[in-house]
Amino acid sequence: MASQTGQDAKFFQRGKIQEFRAELHAAESKDKKFTKRKTVLKKIVANITMGNDMSPLFTDVVQCLGIPLIEIKKMVYLFLVCYGRSKADQIHIVIPSFLQDCNDRNPLVRALAIRTMSYIPVPVVIEPLTEQLRHCLKDRDPYVRKTSAICVAKLYTADPRKAEKGGFVEMLRDLLVDSNATVVSNAVAALCEIGDRQDGVTFRLNLTVANKLLTALGESSEWGQIYILDSLLRYVPDKHEDAELMAERVVVQLGHANSAVVLTAIKVLLYLMNYMENRKLIDYICKKMGPPLVTILSSGPEVQYVALRNILLIVQRRPSVLKNDVKVFFCKYNDPIYVKLAKLEIMYRLAREENAREVLAELQDTRGFRRYASEVDIDFVRKAVRAIGRVAIKVEAAADSCIKALLELIETKVTYVVQEAVIVIKDVFRRYPGKYEGIIPVLCENLDALDEPESKAAMVWIIGQFANRIDNADDLMDDLTFGFMDEPVEVQLALLTAAVKLFIYKSQSSTSKALVHKVLKWATEEVDNPDLRDRGFMYWRMLAINPTVAGEIVLAEKPAITNDSDRMDRGALDQLLLHTGTLGSIYHKNPETFIRGAAGRALTDSPALNPLSRQVLVPLSLPAMPRAIQIAGPGPVEPSVKDAASAPTGGEQKPTPAVPAHLIDDGDGGDGDGEGEGHDDGDYDDEEDHITSASKPLGLDPYANLDSAFGGGGGGGAGSTAGKSYADDLLF
Amino acid sequence: MAIDGLIVLDNNGLAIIQSGFRSSNPAYPLLHIHALKTALNKATQPADVDPVLYVPTLQHETPSACCHVKHGELRFLCPVSGDLDPLYVFAFLRTFMDILQEYFGHISADTLRDNFDVVYQLLEETLDASGHPSTTYPNALRDIVLPPSLLQKVLIAAGVNGLAGSSSNTHPFASPIPWRKTGVRYNNNEIFFDIVEELKAIVNKNGTPTVSTVWGKIISTSKLSGTPDISLTLSNAQVLNDCSFHPCVRLPRWARDKHLSFVPPDGGFTLMEYRYAPAGSHPVAVPVMIKSLVTIDERTLDLTLTSRLTTRAIERIAVEWYLGDGVTGASCIASNNASWTFDPRTLRLRWEMKSVSPSSSYNLRGSFTSTSKNVRPSRAFRVTFEIGQHSFSSLKVEQLKLSGELYKPYKGVRGKSIGDIEWRW
Repeated sequence: MASQTGQDAKFFQRGKIQEFRAELHAAESKDKKFTKRKTVLKKIVANITMGNDMSPLFTDVVQCLGIPLIEIKKMVYLFLVCYGRSKADQIHIVIPSFLQDCNDRNPLVRALAIRTMSYIPVPVVIEPLTEQLRHCLKDRDPYVRKTSAICVAKLYTADPRKAEKGGFVEMLRDLLVDSNATVVSNAVAALCEIGDRQDGVTFRLNLTVANKLLTALGESSEWGQIYILDSLLRYVPDKHEDAELMAERVVVQLGHANSAVVLTAIKVLLYLMNYMENRKLIDYICKKMGPPLVTILSSGPEVQYVALRNILLIVQRRPSVLKNDVKVFFCKYNDPIYVKLAKLEIMYRLAREENAREVLAELQDTRGFRRYASEVDIDFVRKAVRAIGRVAIKVEAAADSCIKALLELIETKVTYVVQEAVIVIKDVFRRYPGKYEGIIPVLCENLDALDEPESKAAMVWIIGQFANRIDNADDLMDDLTFGFMDEPVEVQLALLTAAVKLFIYKSQSSTSKALVHKVLKWATEEVDNPDLRDRGFMYWRMLAINPTVAGEIVLAEKPAITNDSDRMDRGALDQLLLHTGTLGSIYHKNPETFIRGAAGRALTDSPALNPLSRQVLVPLSLPAMPRAIQIAGPGPVEPSVKDAASAPTGGEQKPTPAVPAHLIDDGDGGDGDGEGEGHDDGDYDDEEDHITSASKPLGLDPYANLDSAFGGGGGGGAGSTAGKSYADDLLF
Repeated sequence: MAIDGLIVLDNNGLAIIQSGFRSSNPAYPLLHIHALKTALNKATQPADVDPVLYVPTLQHETPSACCHVKHGELRFLCPVSGDLDPLYVFAFLRTFMDILQEYFGHISADTLRDNFDVVYQLLEETLDASGHPSTTYPNALRDIVLPPSLLQKVLIAAGVNGLAGSSSNTHPFASPIPWRKTGVRYNNNEIFFDIVEELKAIVNKNGTPTVSTVWGKIISTSKLSGTPDISLTLSNAQVLNDCSFHPCVRLPRWARDKHLSFVPPDGGFTLMEYRYAPAGSHPVAVPVMIKSLVTIDERTLDLTLTSRLTTRAIERIAVEWYLGDGVTGASCIASNNASWTFDPRTLRLRWEMKSVSPSSSYNLRGSFTSTSKNVRPSRAFRVTFEIGQHSFSSLKVEQLKLSGELYKPYKGVRGKSIGDIEWRW
């Protein structure tokens, strides 16, 4: 091998067009074995790959098409693929060669010719292509048939109506029952590509064809299996039994070595479960899905990342899938940060009474050795602190030890740790009213450490809410309001509400009276923010008309946070799970919202669809989509925030309240990014923001849709959590 | 579902190989290369860049994503637009790299440049321009793209190369089994199995494993004539969990009676992967023990590593420790002829022992220096090791039956264990 090293590298030298042309002509003489011309062509191809424009050589290069040497043919075809479209006026001179090659004795040449033709979508080529494609789809050689199948999809892209009129879609359908598995899977791939287009014909499978495809599964290549499995989502079962039988056949594929096959199989199974009735079988399948997911996690970090983002969705919909595998998600020091963050999110979601101790110990440990780790991981530490709080909220039995852990953290006096702890303790108070208020003094001691809006707002909320238990509440509030005008809006809102609460609790105190007066005056007269001003006016009126009723309203009992409040809305989840494994599932967004021309997927109603799934069924409507999918994560954010208002959220949809949701109580003000129209301050218009959002604590906030949870009835609720939360918020 | 194309970047970020991006504007691949470079520059550690990058494109075009994998000093990029399964992309990249490996022995910028014509042919066959991976079985590929063998180079140099030579098999895909080519002949029929098991564990401060998992795989090399149908019985198959198999394995048969029944591809392939779950719920024991005495304020360390094995030697143990930003150097004394190094680039201290005999102890003590006031070394060591002729699961090949052909094959089985432990202190 050593002797040949460097031999071909010499082709990578910039050459001039004229030189090549001359060389090519010179090579024509005494070139019996075509080696000379091959050498020149190689140089030309090397130049194409370096990005040099070789298109002026078009006429010279296509001369070589007549040479009966497949290596030369391949290079000329490569040239044609690159420049064919831009040389539409000259392409006609190649057509005869194309036709000749389409009928060559060698199937490789036939396939090569038909493939190259389909890459040049100009009318002069498409005309003869349709002619030839008809024969090639019925070629006796499977290699030609499988290549032709994909060419149909190309033809469809170039000229959909011609392809439909020519009956090519039907011919593809015929290939679904071809004897060769590769041909079948390519036909499926082509049909899916056509079916995924918004203007394409709909591609649905009936039971017979679906079963035939399943049979072909065993003989297909791994890629073929992916196409076939994916196409099964186009089959809508009419009977529970159909779905169940099919699921049993798909389960076997979970043992495949290719992680993409496994994830696609899981997607199909999750889909079919919507149509299944047999509880036992569903549980069995859930049990079967866990191990392969764990196996994927033993692969490289890239694959892990994709798997983790998907697991996050899957465990929200089917919590039983990985319930005993929480240890798999313990973070390693060498894990890349994106893997660590994804693991962390899953870890607390899998926390249950049985494993809470383990999870907590790991979270603390994680925090412990992280503290000394590099600065980069501050984000991670913050997430870990939050996760401890989430475990407290989720698992009642572990709440005590979580609070203890959080208090220990506060004692570290590390600023960002303290801030994070305060934010999450606020939620813990809401979850267990009357249980942990004893720790408030400790929090108050750390007031000075809070310099971020979210934590400050949280602390202000705590002071306001429990003003009757804090002896020096008025002094604290007085200090806090000192710089009112310079505070960010969310802190101002919190201060306003807290001042009102303080006044209601301690209406006799002159400090609180002066305070509320001062703050209301600021809010209504000095501040430009309409939210703040409106809220100020409303409080003012309420207090003026009837302070007792105002007190009842402002201090009304708050709906407790439910266990799985941070779960995604069920209907939206069902829809996202149809995209398991795809970019949509990584970004946690439906693809039609960030890919133009992508057809969305929705569960199709059928007699077999189980009632709960039907209840939360989100119809496919473009471009509007349910708001509840707004979980911030890596990737793009929906282009338009206006969608929310038009999203079909069932009968519950309220007109946007005249006053923003957090007018009365903004206990959750900090979590509101992207949730309510009132918060959308336009930073989503800037695409730059989306990419960097991963590094910003706010952008990746796993509790981003927490405020819908405050109002909504939690995971099992109706498909309109977002819409409902506004209504409920007003009850505070 | 489609992959837009493939780009291979060398360590300077220059494209060596770039497939044609037919349907989009010429700047498309450049946008992706640029996006990756920007992300790499921004990240504090190159490994922390998201493997799926969101790439915003010019206003009227659809945004796309860039999936990328590092291999040695090369980076493989796959731009994708449309709602695609990124795993599908990564699986394809993995496969493509395996193919390159198979064709060229090893993958480097030089081999790719030297054989760019072969790489392009491979790209054409494995990824058709609509972005569907097509032929990826090495067996089938070798029929349509000739590997650059020495013989072939000689033939080309001598000018004896014609249509017949480059496509000796004019009926590709004639084989009814996609992963195996027809007409394979060997004088000696042999098949080899390598059982490789890797222990991945996290050990907490007290020296007890928090997590410990053994992942195993059976790598096979088949040199068998004709169409051999193999039935393989493993000695204690019940301890294998979460198995995944090469497409050649008949899955229903395994589900029924835990027999591996398959027609193997010709050459090397990974037959199966599994997780070893020992009977009972005891985690697999970690074969080494580390006692550490680190004082961060004085910047001293004293590590003692003891082998817990009583009969076998552990080979190539390496303990790696990230010392934190600002650390400028270390000076240590390693006992028993072990060696240590400090890499100022990665800021990692590495302690290597070639072979640790049963129950013996090794020691490393020393100090490190730092320019920053607060040293923040990582609170965990990374320990890697190998144990030859050993497997955690003691999995064995019990019986190999062959039908469909008349010969009796030679079977070779080898075991090897490796470990990758995170030791928290």
